[in-house]
Amino acid sequence: MKTIFRLTLTALAAAAAARLVASPFATTSAGVGTTLSNKETSSVNASRSADPEWAAIKHTPTGQMFKWPLVVPKLEDIAKSASGWEYSGQLEVGYIGGDADERNARYRMYQDFDQGAYVNNFDLAMKKADGSFFGLSGGAAGRRDQYYGVNFGRANSWTLKLYFSETPHVFTDSYKTLWSGLGTGNLVLLTGLTPGGTASTTADNAAVAAAAANSANRTSLSLTRKRYGARLDLTLSAAWKVYASYALEERKGARPLGAVWGNNGGTAPIEIPEPVDYDTKDLSAGVTYAAGLNAFNFRWSSSIFDNKIDTLTFQEPYRIAPQGFTTTPAAGAYVVGRFDLTPSNTSHNARAEYTRKLPDLYNGSITAVVAAGTWRQNDNLIPYTTVAGITSANVTILPGGDWSSVGSLSRPTARGKIDTRTADLTLSLNPSAELNVKLKGRFNESDNNSDPYYAVNPNAVYVDADAATAGAQTRGLSYAGLTGVWGRPLNDATGSGGVLFAGAPTPTGSVVISNKIYSSKQYRFGPTADYLLSKTANFTGSYERDTVERTNRERAKVWDDRFKLGYVNRALPLNSTLRTSYEYGQRRGSRYLTAYYEDAMSAAIIAMPTTVGTNVTSWAVRNNGALRNYELSDRNQHIVNVRLDTMLRPNLDAGLSFQFRESRYPDAAFGRAKDSSDSANLDLNYQPSPKQNIYSFYSYQQSRVRQASIQQAGNVTIGVVSPLGVITPENAATIGSTPGGPFYSLGNAWGARSTDRNHVAGLGFKQELGKATFNLDYSYTLGRTRLAYQYAIGGAINAANAVFAGDRVPDMAMDASYLDASLRFPLTPRLSARLVYRNQWETIRDWHYRNLDGSPVVAPNPANAPTVVGLDGGPMAYRVNWYGVMFQIKL
Amino acid sequence: MRSRFPLLSLRFGAAAAILGTVALVSSIVAQTRPTTPAATPALNGGATYVGEAVCIACHAPQNKQFTHTVHADIFRKNPKNELQQKSCEACHGPGSNHLKNPSDPANRPSLVGFTKEWGTPVATQNAQCMQCHSGGNHMFWDSSTHARNQLACSDCHNPMAKVSEAGLLKKQTINDTCYTCHQQQRAEFAKRSHMPLPEGKMSCVDCHNPHGSTAKALMKADSVNELCYNCHAEKRGPFLWEHAPVRDNCLTCHSPHGSNHDKLLTVARPFQCQQCHDNTNHQTNLYNAGQLLGGGAAPNSRMIGRSCQNCHSQIHGSNHPAGARFQR
Repeated sequence: MKTIFRLTLTALAAAAAARLVASPFATTSAGVGTTLSNKETSSVNASRSADPEWAAIKHTPTGQMFKWPLVVPKLEDIAKSASGWEYSGQLEVGYIGGDADERNARYRMYQDFDQGAYVNNFDLAMKKADGSFFGLSGGAAGRRDQYYGVNFGRANSWTLKLYFSETPHVFTDSYKTLWSGLGTGNLVLLTGLTPGGTASTTADNAAVAAAAANSANRTSLSLTRKRYGARLDLTLSAAWKVYASYALEERKGARPLGAVWGNNGGTAPIEIPEPVDYDTKDLSAGVTYAAGLNAFNFRWSSSIFDNKIDTLTFQEPYRIAPQGFTTTPAAGAYVVGRFDLTPSNTSHNARAEYTRKLPDLYNGSITAVVAAGTWRQNDNLIPYTTVAGITSANVTILPGGDWSSVGSLSRPTARGKIDTRTADLTLSLNPSAELNVKLKGRFNESDNNSDPYYAVNPNAVYVDADAATAGAQTRGLSYAGLTGVWGRPLNDATGSGGVLFAGAPTPTGSVVISNKIYSSKQYRFGPTADYLLSKTANFTGSYERDTVERTNRERAKVWDDRFKLGYVNRALPLNSTLRTSYEYGQRRGSRYLTAYYEDAMSAAIIAMPTTVGTNVTSWAVRNNGALRNYELSDRNQHIVNVRLDTMLRPNLDAGLSFQFRESRYPDAAFGRAKDSSDSANLDLNYQPSPKQNIYSFYSYQQSRVRQASIQQAGNVTIGVVSPLGVITPENAATIGSTPGGPFYSLGNAWGARSTDRNHVAGLGFKQELGKATFNLDYSYTLGRTRLAYQYAIGGAINAANAVFAGDRVPDMAMDASYLDASLRFPLTPRLSARLVYRNQWETIRDWHYRNLDGSPVVAPNPANAPTVVGLDGGPMAYRVNWYGVMFQIKL
Repeated sequence: MRSRFPLLSLRFGAAAAILGTVALVSSIVAQTRPTTPAATPALNGGATYVGEAVCIACHAPQNKQFTHTVHADIFRKNPKNELQQKSCEACHGPGSNHLKNPSDPANRPSLVGFTKEWGTPVATQNAQCMQCHSGGNHMFWDSSTHARNQLACSDCHNPMAKVSEAGLLKKQTINDTCYTCHQQQRAEFAKRSHMPLPEGKMSCVDCHNPHGSTAKALMKADSVNELCYNCHAEKRGPFLWEHAPVRDNCLTCHSPHGSNHDKLLTVARPFQCQQCHDNTNHQTNLYNAGQLLGGGAAPNSRMIGRSCQNCHSQIHGSNHPAGARFQR
């Protein structure tokens, strides 16, 4: 398939074609990849002349001006071959100079410019009198944002489309690699760095810092999406159509990934380059029918995702001291770490849609949809560590159970499977010419049929399996039909804290022993009424209950009652159209359980101790009992939408819109308490003549999120007198999770408020000056985020640190300016020149990356393992001025 | 856990097959209404067809543009039925009454027009389009939010001129067409992190079907996650260790169009994560300016770089046996 595409592309590149295009090649109902273009596509078309013969300015039924059509050849002027093919086309090539080579990741995030020769775009369109056609198009040849398409067939009979599109995604240009093998699954430390570190952490920190500072090791991390596709559409009759499509998307590159060591994390996190080498094959086929009273669609689609790099092994430049484990040799044993990267998976879906008009039943119709799908992955699981012979006190590894072998796993493969089902029914009735009533019902299910995974080493036993039983008992513990040593060695087995009883038979209730399986079912139903007040105004009202049932979540069931009123009037003064709506949603749910995952913790094996003086925090505290996850908590939501389109003059229209959205979470004393987002927008379009067009727009957006939490205080100990009473085994969980108790002390409460503000403004115009056309587009974006917090000094932050903490972090800020100007003038009837100028800059401040680029090794005490090694320096400012001269050649 | 799936799946598949069969059979045999309109429809005051040559005699500029459209290719070169052969009048209706007094605004009801100036009711306009464009992608138009808001097909499409490469849109691109009403989304795409729409590598229609959908927000899939997996198939899993809100809905953490924050997040990390995570240990801490690099107190990894994902890097799910905390 790829070979065919490459041959096709070679042919395309060789063609001396044409007029610029942006060619959608998929349907609006399924699939992605609906456009073939890049950043430069629109600027070329914008400089083409408007058709001076076009009748007049017209407006859409809403009142927006139709774009003045561009000049096209008259029928008699269209070039024709001897065999009867009409053809037209265009090629734009030229040269770009100036700062186009800028490597900044923000500048190149999804585009690719370089100095030098540039094939901006081309196309060729051929038609025959019998409806046969052939078209090809493309642009940015040889660049990472290039695109090509070819389609041919016969209008209204069949079409075959082939396409290729490439999209870069640059994550950073300030990454400092410490490894060779970037983009592979095996990262080897560069010369000068010691795998497994040395005996001196100070020396290791210095070596890492020196390697990071070496400009030769500075690189960008990015991936490229290459999408190859084909689609065949057959129009069998006016009623019957069939189609089939295939696409292959390759993603290759690397991106930053955090890697940490030790118990539960926290030791020497370092950013490594994760390789990306994915293939995704998308296949679909379907049939549609529409005639008379019936319409029917059937579609089959499959997606086959293949990660060609299953694991990532990386050499470690620090001497990681195992916590709770012993190794042979003890020092420097952890030379490499290993990730199990995202597994290959498959998805299949079948969907049938049917609608039938019911002219004899209040001129109604009924629409039904059923769909079923499945997502699966069954990757081979990898052992916990690559280091053989790891041991810990109180655990005896039996033959075949070494933590570095698959014998330490409860099963060899992942066995993941989710089945999806959807059913949707809509009955629409028109009891009168003015009134339409719809009744809707919908069911959607994500049924997770994955096998539960139990973290147990079946080939290991405890030296002392039960501290409560006198004397040593050499056996495994049993749960869910499995026996062995429970838990999982953490982070390549550098931390034993995830293994129950490793080190000593000290009971604990918070070791994870199994995964959780999350499924959900959604039921939605409700009526909608639409009443025509006049030929140009209508009023709508709807009610909907949206119920979601989830397994293994804090709340088994939530229901959202939503009421919506809408009003549209298309005949207001100044030929204005008003569209407005108000929506109120109230979400409530079943009982909220903070400790919903007890069966996945060692608390399911080891009961909470009852002895006075025992610290039972690991059983008693799962989460703040008054915190509510915002996707599950009660919510009162208001949404207002207002949109006004008006024709201030026949050649000047304005669009004004507002949206206000506010959500409050009334049962969430902690967690997200409130969020809101508001926006106001204004567009103006002025088109005094075909030779002149001016537009401007402005948007203001503001969004806020308010949240609260409590910083951990003391422990939950049996027999201790707490502010909520004497702690007993019976009330420990309640007292432990309740704000005001010993763990969640109210004095440690804190709150935060995040406020995003954005201004986006744009201005552009097009002016024809004789035979020349001048075009300019300018936009400016300003984004600010203020994150402020409140706390009690001596509570969440002590007095000494409060001096530095203040009441907020520095504002995040982004300012971006974009100016594109072009002057096009004809040199001959078939050759035009276009002078292009681009001025683009951005400044950005993000406190996460403050000072990080210059000091990637964050080690306040160089003798200790670093707090973090941030090898990605973060987003940075750029300023680009480039210019070009392009030549447009018409066929 | 696995035992009930095959049976339910089979039942569902059987239901789909039955529905599909019934639909096919009924659609073929139950043709109680004609598939094409009568030669003299009730439109336009009982007017009769005059043929496109008559139209072109007065509307040469329109014809010049129209000639380059796919409509012209279909109507003139390969019509599939009687209606398509009518060319101009396939959409505008029979023109004989229009000819009686073509310049009189009072005579506009004699023809279906698709502009504000002409004044044809939106329902009448859309019904003309639906003569050919019913079913398929447009099956759910009637119950779409666009239909409820009285949008006409010609609010987005210009069937008279090839302004866009495909789709006969009123603007050059899909995105520009959508932005004429959805200005808020245009502003979101200008934010720090955004989908690559401004760069021309994606369009609104990659995710939404403006012609209607049974899902919310005109989505082209039955759930948010199913939609996102179209491009982010690596996150589909299902993983050995799953992060509950990730499995539930990508939008729990991400803003789909654009965000002031890295990775389309709704709030800066670690505060994004701390909205839900208030468990023991570090999750409960108030991380602050004093813990920034150069902040004056001890720097903290949660306030630097990738924040929580410095350690919990496999936050979308882990397939590593030790990955319960998404660290491998």
